[in-house]
Amino acid sequence: MRTLVYSLQTAFKSLWHEKWINFLTILSIGTSLLILSAFVGVTLNADSVLKRWAKSFGLVVYLDNTLNRKAEDRLKDFFQQDPDVLEVKYISKDRAIRELHEILGTNASILEELEGNPLPSSFELRLRRELLKPEIVKRKAGEIKQINGVEDVQYGEKWLSSLNTLSKAMKIIAAFLGCAIFTAVIFISYNTIKIFFFARRHEIETLKLLGATRSFIRLPFLIEGLFIGIFGGIISCLALFGVQSLIVYKGADILPSIRAIIVSLPVQAYILVPLAGAFMSLIGSFIAVGKIKY
Amino acid sequence: MIQFSGVSKYYDKEIIFKNISFTIEKGDLVYVTGPSGVGKTTLLKLIYCAELPDEGHINVAGWDLKKLRQGTIPYLRRNIGVVFQDFRLLPNKTVFDNIALTLKIQDMHPKEIKENVDEVLKNIRLKHKSYLFPLQLSGGEQQRVVIARAIVSRPSVLLADEPTGNLDSDTSAAIMKLFKDINAKGATVLIATHNETLFQGSGRRTIHLRDSQIEKETIG
Repeated sequence: MRTLVYSLQTAFKSLWHEKWINFLTILSIGTSLLILSAFVGVTLNADSVLKRWAKSFGLVVYLDNTLNRKAEDRLKDFFQQDPDVLEVKYISKDRAIRELHEILGTNASILEELEGNPLPSSFELRLRRELLKPEIVKRKAGEIKQINGVEDVQYGEKWLSSLNTLSKAMKIIAAFLGCAIFTAVIFISYNTIKIFFFARRHEIETLKLLGATRSFIRLPFLIEGLFIGIFGGIISCLALFGVQSLIVYKGADILPSIRAIIVSLPVQAYILVPLAGAFMSLIGSFIAVGKIKY
Repeated sequence: MIQFSGVSKYYDKEIIFKNISFTIEKGDLVYVTGPSGVGKTTLLKLIYCAELPDEGHINVAGWDLKKLRQGTIPYLRRNIGVVFQDFRLLPNKTVFDNIALTLKIQDMHPKEIKENVDEVLKNIRLKHKSYLFPLQLSGGEQQRVVIARAIVSRPSVLLADEPTGNLDSDTSAAIMKLFKDINAKGATVLIATHNETLFQGSGRRTIHLRDSQIEKETIG
């Protein structure tokens, strides 16, 4: 306990004594963590947009024209009982032609050339979000197509595939950026602690000769590294909060609905970022201090 | 207390010691002398494990240094007070803090640290300068601080490397009196010096080193 108190005192003295180099290190770590947090924020917002898009995604099941109403109802019951389907919407032949009329607007006169209503009745099925993967949707569409009374199944195959690729790409970039920043923060704190260790080598040599254990020598450096990481994390959180507030309040002037659209980082992130900074910096410090030989 | 058995030490191809053996009993005050570069400092370093012998065995206060693990070395050193030739005082710490460091390393309670440091500062008559930094002291005063740091934890062995180098005769005499007092309290003291006036007429055992060997042992 007393060794811990001594180490804390020594670490804080060094933090203050070497304030400029420590300040620059904290700023570098803060900037790195800010880039990472900002990207996580962007990914969260992009994911939220993708989720909103996914809500409107559905399979359109075109029914056989020969089916009577009773058979259509049986199919509706069948789809409603399917655990993969969240919502079933029935579109009758009449409604389909009406909607087509509305879409065509002034050009709707071309429909008058047709004999009767050529459009089939259909169901719009909304699948559970976790199933919205190209391969799963393709298989599901294939299964539905096999059902008696189903003429065809259509869905935005290319759109779904692009959406999925975008989501995957963002996750890969986030992972890559995370690794790069993890390495950068470790390297930054490694360099700083290595400089301090070198600057205090005579003191360390004396401590060793006076009977100091490895932990007694190492602990102040590790605590210093830990606090550098925590302070870096706090700086990045403050900057992130500032940038986010600026976007929300200033952006509201241009796009009033931005407050409803934008997804803020969860409160836990403001605890997690300094902790992550501390963890990364601690690893760097640990490597910098290295193995002490007697 | 200190036993060298067939100890040899080499630096690259240079032979420092070749097969030297001697024993220093508990409570002895012994001088080691010889010309500059003969290996007096190396001999002390071998005792506090800053160097390892290439051949032979060294036993200090019951510790076989050849079998000592790296992690155990600090605990050996806590039993040995060392007065370094180059002082090794930390310039950014006060006299009090320099002396207290030895006890902090040993995880002593702050209240006990204060009592012990105050007592030792009184013994070396530097209590009034406890708040000063080493560079604000004279050479003799710095030497006394180094001695205080070495004895504050009451080690069983005290090693002194040229403790009176560059000091005037009055200060040297005062410092030698300190060593005799420490020895009188039961500590084994080994003083490495090339200053003949220190051991001549002292009535103490003196080990003379020359040409990598113990040339002779005399009673000063």
